[in-house]
Amino acid sequence: MIRIENVSMKFDLGIEKNFSLKELLISIFSKKKRNKKSDFWALKDISFNVDKGEVVGLIGSNGAGKSTLLKVVSGVMKPTKGKVIVNGVISPMIELGAGFDMELTARENIYLNGAILGYSKKFLEKKFEEIVEFSELRDFLDVPVKNFSSGMTAKLAFSIATVVDPEILIVDEILSVGDIKFQEKSKKKMESMIGGGTTVLYVSHSLDAIKEICTKVIWLEHGKIVMMGDAKKVCDAYYKVQMK
Amino acid sequence: MIKSIFINFKKYWFLLTQLISRDFKVKYKRSILGVVWSLLYPILMMSVMAIVFSQMFRFKVEGINYLVYLMTGLIMFNYFSEATTTAMTSVISNFTLINKVYIPKYIFPIAKCMFVGINFVLTLIPWIGIILLSYVGLGEYTCHINWYYLLLPYIFFCMFLFTVGIGLLLSCISVFFRDMLHIYGIVITLWNYLTPVFYSIEILPKKLQALFELNPLYQFLSSARSIVLYGKCPSALTLLIIGAIGIVTLAIGALVFKKNQDKFVYYV
Ligand SMILES: Nc1ncnc2c1ncn2[C@@H]1O[C@H](COP(=O)(O)OP(=O)(O)O)[C@@H](O)[C@H]1O
Ligand SMILES: [Mg+2]
Repeated sequence: MIRIENVSMKFDLGIEKNFSLKELLISIFSKKKRNKKSDFWALKDISFNVDKGEVVGLIGSNGAGKSTLLKVVSGVMKPTKGKVIVNGVISPMIELGAGFDMELTARENIYLNGAILGYSKKFLEKKFEEIVEFSELRDFLDVPVKNFSSGMTAKLAFSIATVVDPEILIVDEILSVGDIKFQEKSKKKMESMIGGGTTVLYVSHSLDAIKEICTKVIWLEHGKIVMMGDAKKVCDAYYKVQMK
Repeated sequence: MIKSIFINFKKYWFLLTQLISRDFKVKYKRSILGVVWSLLYPILMMSVMAIVFSQMFRFKVEGINYLVYLMTGLIMFNYFSEATTTAMTSVISNFTLINKVYIPKYIFPIAKCMFVGINFVLTLIPWIGIILLSYVGLGEYTCHINWYYLLLPYIFFCMFLFTVGIGLLLSCISVFFRDMLHIYGIVITLWNYLTPVFYSIEILPKKLQALFELNPLYQFLSSARSIVLYGKCPSALTLLIIGAIGIVTLAIGALVFKKNQDKFVYYV
């Protein structure tokens, strides 16, 4: 379903966003080539397979490269080296509500965000009620999202993102959304999505949740795979190192 | 290749309409007159320009209706200028999105060119109004309504292709080179003066005229004007050339964009 072969991802920290005419002139006149030391490998030679129906957990400390790996798999980024082969439609939940326009109302954002996530018009019209119902925001449908609390925005985003029956689900630390009641509900929703034979790639800091739902776990550190295999074994090893 | 373009187009059409309608909603939210501004703006612009150029500076073009001459130039040039300027920033301003969800990135500049294009089509309503008014005494000369008007959509479409091509190019360059935003501001101002929007190319020396004719925008403008103001059909060669300008520019823009789009995420 997903085949990752020797994938490496390089960020060149030297080329910065504020590259401008001034810097161009400086670099021409100083004749100094950009030092190669600013290369930063966020992923180094990663290989693994995910079979159909497998639920794979990704763990590792902050900056390990988990989100980068998810982005490479979902096609947001092209790997610098290596190959990514994906068979099936991906539902990426890397950052919810990334496509929201704060000026627009919740109703308008459901359509906009849905379109960004690749839903068709027909699908959205059919599922509109379901999204509204799940988000518990019926009374705020015509309120601009900029007036929402962050919890409300997250609830709306979660409801739009999870209305699909995905073939491949990619989840990046998003479960702690909204109030306690909604958290329970969203956890159930995730479980039912995962349970339905979906192929899942799942990042979480909650080892309990990982142990509960994952069939296989990959432990990532500094862009490399430290350990891969049985969920409990990898989690326990990771826990030991973290607690040292 | 053609087939895959078509499939992609179908797949992302809904997203495209959503992005365009988002722009509409944001632009006209909480404005009382709303879309009416799109109609009023060119009339007001034209009135001001008409007063400045025909009354104060005594500009005119012999034998034709100067108001319509001016307005044709204005709405066409403004379309190009506004569409390319907003297309240029469209990729940069959607960076957070591009970095999180897979969306074909070319959709942003195209959506901008289409959004401004819809506004352009709206401005054609007051434009046609002025053309009709020239028959009842607005300005010295009347226009020429004729069958060649059916060629106008073709001319506008060629200009649209040209605009999308430039928009793709600019949006791509400005990712790597932020100064482009400022540089283009100057370029478009110069371009405005070098395009016969409010003057006629005939006031220039012969040698300069030949040079000015190389300006693609001049070709679009003069084709439309020759139909509306002179009742003359542009030559087959001219029509072919403006088609080629549109297609070639679009192809170059698309190619450059396609070649570089995978590198965008590094510059986020
Ligand atoms: N667009 C980028 N440009 C430069 N560095 C980046 C970019 N995205 C991520 N990184 C770097 O890559 C490393 C891995 O990040 P990430 O995948 O987000 O880690 P995490 O495992 O916490 O999700 C971090 O050191 C981060 O600074
Ligand atoms: Mg992360």
